[in-house]
Amino acid sequence: MINAYASRIWNVLKSFQLTIVLLALLMCLVLFCTLAQVEMGTQGAVNAYMRSFIVWNQPLLLRLPFPGGALVGLLLTINLIAKTIDIKLSWQKSGMWLVHAGLVVLFAGEFIAGMMQVDTNLTIEVGQTVNFVQSYKQMELAVIDVTDPTWDEVYSVPDTLLAKGGAVAIPGTPITLNVKKFYPNAELANLAPGAPPSLANAGVGAGVSIVEKPVVSADNEMNQTSAFVEPVAGGRSYGTWLVSVALGAPQSFTHEGRTYTLAMRLRRQYLPYAFTLKQFRHDVYPGTDIPKNFSSLVQVVNPSRNESREVLIYMNQPLRYEGKTFYQASFGKNDTLSVLSVVENPGWLLPYVSCVLVSIGLLVHFAIVLRRSLKRRQDKKEG
Amino acid sequence: MPNPSIPLHRPSLRPTSSAALLGAGLLLLGLGCSSEQVSHYRVPKESASAPAPMPAMPPTPMGERTGEPSDVPPPPKPKGSLKWSLPKGWSELPGGGMRFATFKTPYAGKLEATVVVLPGPAGGELANVNRWRGQIALPALDEAALAKARTTLKAKVGTVNVYDFTSEGTAKSRMVAGYVATPDGNTWFLKLTGDADPVAKAKADFMTILGSLHLD
Repeated sequence: MINAYASRIWNVLKSFQLTIVLLALLMCLVLFCTLAQVEMGTQGAVNAYMRSFIVWNQPLLLRLPFPGGALVGLLLTINLIAKTIDIKLSWQKSGMWLVHAGLVVLFAGEFIAGMMQVDTNLTIEVGQTVNFVQSYKQMELAVIDVTDPTWDEVYSVPDTLLAKGGAVAIPGTPITLNVKKFYPNAELANLAPGAPPSLANAGVGAGVSIVEKPVVSADNEMNQTSAFVEPVAGGRSYGTWLVSVALGAPQSFTHEGRTYTLAMRLRRQYLPYAFTLKQFRHDVYPGTDIPKNFSSLVQVVNPSRNESREVLIYMNQPLRYEGKTFYQASFGKNDTLSVLSVVENPGWLLPYVSCVLVSIGLLVHFAIVLRRSLKRRQDKKEG
Repeated sequence: MPNPSIPLHRPSLRPTSSAALLGAGLLLLGLGCSSEQVSHYRVPKESASAPAPMPAMPPTPMGERTGEPSDVPPPPKPKGSLKWSLPKGWSELPGGGMRFATFKTPYAGKLEATVVVLPGPAGGELANVNRWRGQIALPALDEAALAKARTTLKAKVGTVNVYDFTSEGTAKSRMVAGYVATPDGNTWFLKLTGDADPVAKAKADFMTILGSLHLD
């Protein structure tokens, strides 16, 4: 009885019907996800449609539940593996094995990309040297010890940690931050006369009112992430401060002769090397405003490798360096500012491996079928 | 003011086959792998060598809105509000968010004049001036250089500290800023920013505004 059920499930899992249904669902998801990007932005739509098991509450789907990309992808992978296992293990089928193995590698590559790919950007002006990349959306509260005249000690508290609230100890310092309130997105305004006092009693925030706003995910929108934090050191409170991406004014306090600044900002990852932008070019076709070329000439200086060299990064000709890929992505400030999109994906080679496997598999399969066909023809002639 | 960054190429939008997209379906919960620990870096002092770059999609820092209409009501007038007289052709638009007011100028080109008021010393003059310099890609100043860069203007409200900075490079940005503290403890920033040419044309009028500052 159990064997019969297992056999039936196995037959379903390896069936082409299941493949067709899942591919149809996937096509729908790709269509909805593409349409949703208009309102939700690329990342928001991908998270809602492709990286969820069930798509919930989406206006495009009339708020009805729909299988998400994670579920469809998982079932498709199981279907592919079941189908692969079902292929007879023989030289005659080696091409098919290679093709299926290539597809499994492709899925694995996308799995790794989704799990581990980090998208950041490096924004740099002509003549400027930059040694960090920063996130597009994720924030950090930077507690920076600026006491040393040469170095800054940067302690980065990620927004995900702030969102949990409570006490956050800053290792290596005597400071503990009490996160009293966290706003993923908020709007700030000057405090109106007679309005309830701000939660902040130190810094600029004491005169600022804050209103929570829905989180935005569109590509051209940014959350004004904010929080009320109370630094405590040596048993002494340094007051409650409002920290926000919307606050440009610097804020700092001094504990036992060391000065700490507080800044909510896009999350940074500092690099062991630095880029200096020597030249940015924005060429147009003569007599038109149509862009012909965008390029950044950067000096890469890496003391750990005793390296200093010029690199030209231009469209579709990225720089691959130390596990990161730097693409020419944007520009600004009257062509004096260049934005490089930075992608770090440990599985970037897998799609290429997959393509090679699938290509070889198809060639092998073609050769085997051709040989069989020629043999049959030969047999017919002889017969 | 910086140009808005124009997207040219987004690797995240690279053509992807549906087979590849379905791999995204394998992304289970816990995507992003973002660390939830406090990280520590020792880095060369940023302000000493380079200004902080703007992000690819700049946030709207306090008082640095780029002219888009805001759905935030204009901020309330602080006690002892600052007043000014506008030259011919200039008009005042209501502020929004942290911005107290915006001036419409009669000059063409990329140009913006704004008024921001912040409670207290707002981080101090040096830090704010260095922040402004960073916005036009100029290196930070120390106290001595700040004093050199400062000119003063006598107005009814008292002494207004004035700074005039022009960026390097082929397309120059310029910023003229007035910095004044009022007796109620607020700090006021009046800034004229934009491309160097229109700022140069509007500077005389802007200095007239700074000279006319008085308390309500």
